[in-house]
Amino acid sequence: MQFCRVRSVAEAVDELSRWGTEGRILAGGTDVMPQYLRGEQSPAALIDISGIDGLQGISEVGGVTSIGALVTMRRLATASLVQLRYPALAQAAALVGAWQTQTVATLGGNICSAAATADTLPALLVADAQLMLVSKSGRRRVSLEELLEGPGVTALRPTELLRAVEVEPLGERGAEGYVKVSRRSAMDLAVVGLALRLSVTPSGVISGVRIALCGGARAAHRVPTAESLLLGSQLSGDIDVFGAVGEELARAVGPAVSPEAHYRRRVLRGLFDRLARRCTAQIPGASG
Amino acid sequence: MLVQPSERDVTIRLVVNDRAHQFDVDAGETLLGALRERLGLTGPKEACYEGECGACTVLVDGGPVASCILAAGSMSGRAVRTVEGLARAAELTTLQQAFVRHAAVQCGYCTPGVLMVLTALLDEVPDPCESDIRRALAGNICRCTGYQQIVEAALDAAASVQP
Amino acid sequence: MSVLGTSPERSDADAKLRGQAIFGADLSRTGMLWAALARSPVAAGRIRAIDPAPALRGDGVLEVLTSADVPDWRTGVIVSDTPLLAAGSVAYEGEPVAIVVAESRTAAEAGARAVALDIETAEPVSTPEQALEPGARLVHPDWNRFAVAGGEDIGRNGNVVAEVVHDPGDLDEAFAAADIVVEGTYRTPRQYQAHLEPKMALATYESGRFTIEVSHQYPFRLRDRVAQITGVAPSAVRVVGHHIGGGFGAKLDVSLEAFVALLARRFRRPVRMQHTALEERLVAPCRANAIVAVRSAVRRDGTILATDVEIVSDSGAYANNGPALSSIPMFVFGSIYRVGTARIRTRNVYTNTAPTGAYRGVNGPWLVFANERHMDAIADALGRDRRDFRLASLARDGDLMRNGQPLTEASILREAFDRVDELAPWRDIVSRNQAQRGIVSRNQAQRDAGARTSQPAESDADVLRGAGQAAAIWLTNPMPGHATVKLNEDGTATVITSATENGSGAVATGLRQIAAETLGLAADAVTITMPDTDATGYDAGSQGSRTTHVVGRAIADAAADVRTQVLDRASRMLEAAPEDLVITDGVVTVAGVPAASLTLGAVAQAATWSDGPITAGASYVTPTPPHDPACATGMLIKGWPTPTYHLHQAEVSVDTVTGRVTVDRYVVCQEVGRAIHPDAIAGQIQGGVAQGLGFALSERVDLDHGRYVQRTFKAHGLPLAEDVPKVEMIVMEHADPAGPYGAKGAAEPPIVPVAAAVANAVSDAIGVPFDTLPITPEAVLEALEAEPNGETVARAAREPVVNRDGEQERETTGRAS
Repeated sequence: MQFCRVRSVAEAVDELSRWGTEGRILAGGTDVMPQYLRGEQSPAALIDISGIDGLQGISEVGGVTSIGALVTMRRLATASLVQLRYPALAQAAALVGAWQTQTVATLGGNICSAAATADTLPALLVADAQLMLVSKSGRRRVSLEELLEGPGVTALRPTELLRAVEVEPLGERGAEGYVKVSRRSAMDLAVVGLALRLSVTPSGVISGVRIALCGGARAAHRVPTAESLLLGSQLSGDIDVFGAVGEELARAVGPAVSPEAHYRRRVLRGLFDRLARRCTAQIPGASG
Repeated sequence: MLVQPSERDVTIRLVVNDRAHQFDVDAGETLLGALRERLGLTGPKEACYEGECGACTVLVDGGPVASCILAAGSMSGRAVRTVEGLARAAELTTLQQAFVRHAAVQCGYCTPGVLMVLTALLDEVPDPCESDIRRALAGNICRCTGYQQIVEAALDAAASVQP
Repeated sequence: MSVLGTSPERSDADAKLRGQAIFGADLSRTGMLWAALARSPVAAGRIRAIDPAPALRGDGVLEVLTSADVPDWRTGVIVSDTPLLAAGSVAYEGEPVAIVVAESRTAAEAGARAVALDIETAEPVSTPEQALEPGARLVHPDWNRFAVAGGEDIGRNGNVVAEVVHDPGDLDEAFAAADIVVEGTYRTPRQYQAHLEPKMALATYESGRFTIEVSHQYPFRLRDRVAQITGVAPSAVRVVGHHIGGGFGAKLDVSLEAFVALLARRFRRPVRMQHTALEERLVAPCRANAIVAVRSAVRRDGTILATDVEIVSDSGAYANNGPALSSIPMFVFGSIYRVGTARIRTRNVYTNTAPTGAYRGVNGPWLVFANERHMDAIADALGRDRRDFRLASLARDGDLMRNGQPLTEASILREAFDRVDELAPWRDIVSRNQAQRGIVSRNQAQRDAGARTSQPAESDADVLRGAGQAAAIWLTNPMPGHATVKLNEDGTATVITSATENGSGAVATGLRQIAAETLGLAADAVTITMPDTDATGYDAGSQGSRTTHVVGRAIADAAADVRTQVLDRASRMLEAAPEDLVITDGVVTVAGVPAASLTLGAVAQAATWSDGPITAGASYVTPTPPHDPACATGMLIKGWPTPTYHLHQAEVSVDTVTGRVTVDRYVVCQEVGRAIHPDAIAGQIQGGVAQGLGFALSERVDLDHGRYVQRTFKAHGLPLAEDVPKVEMIVMEHADPAGPYGAKGAAEPPIVPVAAAVANAVSDAIGVPFDTLPITPEAVLEALEAEPNGETVARAAREPVVNRDGEQERETTGRAS
């Protein structure tokens, strides 16, 4: 195995096109290294992109926030901009592993590994994340929804590098959050991760809703059937619609083929209610 | 499993406990392997090899990391602090002294990693509450103590450096 | 001033805090070789061929050894059933098959992976139930050829490794007289020790003797086992102990040590081995999984007339210490509560799984789980308050345990119930929890009725609360210890012993305090050695809380002898009678004459250059308590020496949305004889409870066709800092006349009642019995859902009904018949 330390995006895409499927990108390495050490992966080259300054940083241009692929979970969890405008993302990042993981694990890594349990993905989905990809043949932009094809499977080409993620901030009369159910207080993968973003009109009508899940048999995904149940509801009077949404989410995670799937369905019924109440409590005048 | 066989070496420059080093590592070598076997620093412990227990925790540029799953090759230019770099001279740090007072050490195998995380926490949050401390320790398994005396030591250490 | 009951600094704290302490896993020797094992990838099968060639092609690989190259006899602690390397067949996944010797660790591990094993897989005997089925395949067809230590009859038969039967023969009569019969079956999984430091061993061979350097709980057993396996005299093996990164019972028997010894002799170079992460998971001697079926004949007034207990525990592929542990049920049923006449049968059986072994509390956590879940079941069946029923059923002073041993201090448990109630009154907790159930049930009813509400649910409207208690009487391991105490010429003392410091502080502080107290020194004026089997008398290791009690007693006796020598020498120097002398803070003074004094250093100096150095040695073994040798067949542990008394009370909340259980409050009342180092005892209680909570709630060790499902540290689900509450503690002291200053054991038992107390609390919260561990969120939601119309939540069926006469109507649970 060869260790290729690259200093710029240009160098990185050169190495990627040279190694193709034989190369593995090393950013934080929290997925790649354990797999390598256990002998599950034996790439011909590790392409270390951790030294590329251009993939760092969180910036805001014209109301859109761009997050570099190398921004760490710790940074996402603690940056005030993220906490304020993307609270679900900050909450999700704070629930990835432990501090030791968060110090080095990157947003790009979480996206490109596309684990079914990746905490940040539902939070990114409700923020309509767009991914900026670059390769030797040029740049392209795809939505996260398009990128995620299955657990661990993405539409990313072997020669492509994820440069940054653009996310849409939470509106004035909006609220969002992420809840995770796992076995212990920390460290464990999500059995269920649930993100919700709501926008509400001044008269209390839900005018925008995005709901996304992770932890199931599929890659993280939105649940349009559940979203449509909520859209147009009057917040102050119609709280029990949350129960119906929970039921719909339980249906959407698929058949209870295993005890874990069965559990996931049961949890989702009440979990959505809990998250929705937490979110609506943050919207002025919405909680009645 | 500490050092996987590899074809190519990488030269890295590393500042460890304020001393500069330059040496070759293997492509798949972990930071823990490099510290223990090349620099002789056996304070950071080998335990789970999976980044799950925290016994190998060191600080990289001030942030705690699980050195057993960190590629040494990617560490060039970084500053690493291990447990050996905490007490500068004869005297233990405030935190270490609090560990003595609160009987927070039992078998001692998790202790180096726990100390590094709490050192980072006290640097960042000088006056942490109990839940801050427990949350910070999420990546450090201590099978002996049930954590209570560790938490109390950390609270005491924070109180002793407060004005 | 006494140093007992104070909490001085442990002798190893500074080195451990600086990262300077060298643990076994940090050891290295110039010129050392590394070795690694190729292990069976299947649970059962016949070895067709082993091809070392791919391993030998690796850089730095020197040799590959198979069963043909090592001693071919089987050995064991009790049953000699374990080969060093599998020959002919394999009996569990992870069984050593070949060993690869190389110049480096990397090369040895790569070589071990490269050895080509051709194994014809057989259908494994996966569970104890399968092992006992008529016509089940025998895990060891040649079981009858295995020798048993001491030639004892332990009831072996086919897949049954050991059987202990106690049957007074009068149960049928008692059951015929019963008003109700309560039955329960209690199932518990394995538990993994999860010590952080991997197992390792380093051996050298010089001038016909082995030196084994290791981090091990029981160096003398290691000496004897390495000798047994390699075929040399025990005195040809020297074991040197280093700092231990946790053991909890996993480091009590031989593992890698025999391999490194043989290789060191073969290559005449130091040889080192260490488990990989996967090996740690695959071959840990977990606490045995078990099934305990209990049936009780009960009278309406609450008298238990008879108890019938049927136990099956899983030995795994080899016997290890399972046959001895099979005696322990005899000390649980009928020792805590009066259970009437009892029949107790325990069978320990072979399966094609990794051998189980000793984990802190051994069988205790699951026996007490069964005993205390069953007490709740009987109380529920009688409609009695669970605490009241326990108090009414408690054993009394003078009652006999099932082995005929009298309970001389049973009333300590009654005191424990009082003490816990002062801190956390049971009735208040029960009524508060009932009120909370009302809130939850109203909330549920509103939802069921489709009520529209814009109010956020009450913050705890989906939380059910419950409380549970569990009591235990646990032993202090009686096995032998020895110590030499020498007074140094500078007035300090050194204790020479092979007692091992496994983290508890028993050696690093407790034993030093005992010596200091006797000699009139400060604790930090006493140093203590690390284990070395060449240099000390026999010591039975860090197990069963024995160190403070047994070795402490030996030290107290040896130090008293030293003290006598000091006073004798000083009396001549001070021209005063020995009985007029006092020793305080290292100074001998004539009582009432402060000017007439000598430092201990001056006394030691004078003694050394006249009569010779002042030293003394002493040994101690706890005598076996009086008992009836004919009480049962197959019993290897005859008595329950130096018992200690324990009551745990857990309060839990159950999140009805996620099924997660949170322990809100946990109270331990523990009797320790005498608290030598209160902070160390607190650490043992808190740590033991944490391990018990893991066993009850989050830890998983599952087997699938004989193979472990959990293969990473993460998968085991060990409790984290946020998962463990602060444990509230009441430490009771009832001095044991035989113990050093009254001390009994304290470190092992805090784990024993935990799962029982928590399971009782969760069962109480939900109103559904949890008789299987662990209590996972999945199981909790399943239980909540299984109840029709959410009645579980309302718990209507569970509350005792009061009829017009004000008398409680008895209701019977589904398990009462």
